[in-house]
Amino acid sequence: MELRDLIGSIEFPKMALIIPELIVLLTGFLIFTLDLIFKRANYRLYTWISVVGYFMAMLYIAFNPSLSGSTFYGLYVRDYFSSFLQFFMILLTIFVLAFTYHYYKQKLSLYREFYYILSFALVSAMFLASSYNLITLYVALEGVSISFYILTALLRGDFNAKEGAFKYLILGGLSIALASYGAVFMYIYAGSLDLQKILTYSGQNKDLLILGLVFFLIGFAIKIGAVPFHFWLPDAYQGAPTPITAYMASVGKLAFFAPVVRIMPLVQEHFAYAWVITVGIISAMTMLYGNLVALVQKDVKRLLAYSSIAHSGYILAGIAVAKAIGLKAVLYFLVAYALMGAGSFLLLALLERNPQWENRMEEFSGLRFSMPWIAVSFMIFMFSLLGVPPSVGFVGKALVFTALSFDRLWWLAFVMILSTGISTGYYVRLVVLTFMKESSKSIKVESSFAEKVVIFVLTLSVVILGAVPIIIWSFASQSADILFKR
Amino acid sequence: MEKLGAQFPLISISMLIPTLGSFFVVLLPERFTKGISLISTGITFLISLYSLTLFDFSKGDVVQFYEHYPIIPELGISLSLGLDGLSMLMYLLTTLVSLVAVLWSVRDKQINHRIKEYFLWFLLTESFLIGVFASWDLIVFYVFYELTLVPMLFVIGIWGYKLRLYSAYKFFIYIFISSLFLLLGTVSLAVQHYKLFGRFSFSYFDLMNNDYPLGLGIFLFMLFFIAFAVKTPIVPFHTWLPDAHGEAPTAGSIVLAAILLKMGTYALFRFNIGLFPKVVAFLMPILVLWGIFSIMMASWFTISQKNLKRFVAYSSISHMGFVVTSMFLLNLEGFRASIMEMFAHGLTSASLFMIAGFIYNRLHSFNMDALKGSAKFMPLFAIITVITAYSSMGLPGGSSFWGKFLTVLSAREYTTQLALLVIAGAFFSVIYMLYLMKVLFLDTKEESRLVHFADIRGFKLSAFLLLVIPMFMVGLLPSLFFNIFDMSVKKLLLYVMHKLIGG
Repeated sequence: MELRDLIGSIEFPKMALIIPELIVLLTGFLIFTLDLIFKRANYRLYTWISVVGYFMAMLYIAFNPSLSGSTFYGLYVRDYFSSFLQFFMILLTIFVLAFTYHYYKQKLSLYREFYYILSFALVSAMFLASSYNLITLYVALEGVSISFYILTALLRGDFNAKEGAFKYLILGGLSIALASYGAVFMYIYAGSLDLQKILTYSGQNKDLLILGLVFFLIGFAIKIGAVPFHFWLPDAYQGAPTPITAYMASVGKLAFFAPVVRIMPLVQEHFAYAWVITVGIISAMTMLYGNLVALVQKDVKRLLAYSSIAHSGYILAGIAVAKAIGLKAVLYFLVAYALMGAGSFLLLALLERNPQWENRMEEFSGLRFSMPWIAVSFMIFMFSLLGVPPSVGFVGKALVFTALSFDRLWWLAFVMILSTGISTGYYVRLVVLTFMKESSKSIKVESSFAEKVVIFVLTLSVVILGAVPIIIWSFASQSADILFKR
Repeated sequence: MEKLGAQFPLISISMLIPTLGSFFVVLLPERFTKGISLISTGITFLISLYSLTLFDFSKGDVVQFYEHYPIIPELGISLSLGLDGLSMLMYLLTTLVSLVAVLWSVRDKQINHRIKEYFLWFLLTESFLIGVFASWDLIVFYVFYELTLVPMLFVIGIWGYKLRLYSAYKFFIYIFISSLFLLLGTVSLAVQHYKLFGRFSFSYFDLMNNDYPLGLGIFLFMLFFIAFAVKTPIVPFHTWLPDAHGEAPTAGSIVLAAILLKMGTYALFRFNIGLFPKVVAFLMPILVLWGIFSIMMASWFTISQKNLKRFVAYSSISHMGFVVTSMFLLNLEGFRASIMEMFAHGLTSASLFMIAGFIYNRLHSFNMDALKGSAKFMPLFAIITVITAYSSMGLPGGSSFWGKFLTVLSAREYTTQLALLVIAGAFFSVIYMLYLMKVLFLDTKEESRLVHFADIRGFKLSAFLLLVIPMFMVGLLPSLFFNIFDMSVKKLLLYVMHKLIGG
């Protein structure tokens, strides 16, 4: 064999594909190094470095939307789908960053680790969205999870934060163990680590594939917070610093759902019927449980955590329909929930800056008088989570209904109607409290310019992207078509 | 269905003007609020009158002023606005009643705080309502249909009477949950269109071509029917209405009763009959009897009310029973009766709620016993009350007469027994109205307990006149109004018959 052929067979990694990840990673390392060199931390500088780095990565994606291909011998895949999700992940991370400095300062928990751990979480999340390979997925999953455990526990003095982080750690560890166990079975079945090959391979021992996929998906179900694997979620969401809760509810949701959504086109071959039934039942349980338990919550942060579980259920309902229309609905709804979840938790983060604020439901009464614009924005997020048009939440639900009706999954559609009906109870109660009850106590919070801008942009995007859904829809639709063509 | 493009986007402009007004209400100081609201609702009303002059009556079945802006082409969603005869009438009613509601609110003593917000919500409601009646895309219809809930939640919850929070909550939850069924039904129709024709479409014109096996048809029909039966409401689903209408401020009740209920009946007419003709023909006996049951039950509920506002609210349910009954009789007279009754009820119920609100402003009570003899010092007010009540009970010359008369005629086309049943229903509605009149004018109290009231005048009188004059017009010159919608009704009937014969 000639040397030329040997060299020709070695593929040089196409670095252009992973530039966004590299930028984010380098940003993290830069802050890490600066933190090592300087004794005194300059938080403002760290924030700006992160924002600039993330922004560059985001712009790179935005200007090269059709960049696609696979590199590192198929370990990494960039396509429309991953670019679409990564764009929103980076954007939402920037939004969350705007809220962290003042929040941690008020809670006396400002640590510099935060900035680079956030970068590592983001880069792992980005890898989760762009791979078919079991090893890459495993490493990325670990990366996101470990970062999240640390970020959750970052209010060191707080008991709730420790409890939440500990629960998250134990169940998260279990989920990763299960996922890797499932990966092993799938590898034995097909002799490949590539999910595309595994799921389209017709081998002898299909039990191995079923067992493997079930374990693998249970691993992700725990991360998503699907019932009955949700027990860590309310505690972790409640215990975590609220900007981090917003981060987990937005970027975390996008990241953990990405691999599940990615394999949707591939399950038709072996699992068409079983997929619908299994995912459908889990989805129904998740929706009903999340909404029913949210209905009796008195703590708004915990309530929104349960609402996040319920929304996982709605997204899973779309996933149950493993067709192109289902994937489009799911993609739209994922982004919609990421915006709404980030918005509602960030508003709470803002309100928590007032030392008297304890996230109790009654505290929302009279908010309209003390902080009218915050109240209006809160109302818009609540109505969007409920699914009142013209908001992204409504369009998401309408698309999921379309998908369900396409597959004639009437029972799941009725469960969804029922659980949305239940959710009316608490969302409208919050709106009613905010606008129609008056209270003697007036809560005021000074918000910084960046915070104001972020809240404004999120609120506006919830309305505008719902009233003009074509903006997200065209990207979601193209991503889904490309995934299904393969 | 044919469409006639708009030379000039008249409908979107009439939708934008109240929205624009609401922006100004938010931005400018409070002393301008009332003026801006009056001006923008007034202009919208004038535009609707102007569009009536442009409306080609000889082509009442054609969708005129048609505008089309795509939203998601891949799913066949587009903002398509237009008016045929039926929606023209509803459009007129909307702009008229919105003007009346704003005119009334200007001098309403109940509205003494958060004035900017109050008028903001009313202006937005008007925009949304025009959207409901003018949109020919089912998803867009749904969006506007749902959007009307939000302003009403606030209007009831903030400016209502004692039980306002409970009522607002109940109102929102009932209608929101029921309309989720509508959403499922709507997307299912589009999916069915995809399965039949290979592309999604939410356009009404496309969906009329859909064909369903009877079972699926009944299922989809029921999804639509649940939503609209709660909105209309038909009797077992009516329990939200007395609370919402009884606790809302006067102008809120006016809009709720005069227009929001019509959304339900309009949609039943447009969608349930237009999209599922075979199913309607199949279920006709049940639906008609259900409507008559609704009339009777609601009339009985009405008679037992002590609270004037709840009295009017229950009487609305019985009127809606007439609308539903005559609609599902599926003949020309029935259709005409149904639509005429919708319009007439819009006028009379608004007027009745204003009467109740007026009395509350004077007496601070809705209790019927407290009202006794109250009309003695207010001759002008008494005259208006009598005219409204006679119109409402369906005396010849009153506005409800044509609705009820034609319902009886159309029932007679099937059997005399059915017609007699309808007459019995009409009889009850006479009883409760006469009862109201007796309490107001014939019962007396001891002289010492009577208080002198000032008679009605100014803004409120003009609000009344805006309703009483059209009431007379409907009663005495019905052909004016029949002309507007007759063609579209005939077209729909022809279409239904064509489908039934098997086209």
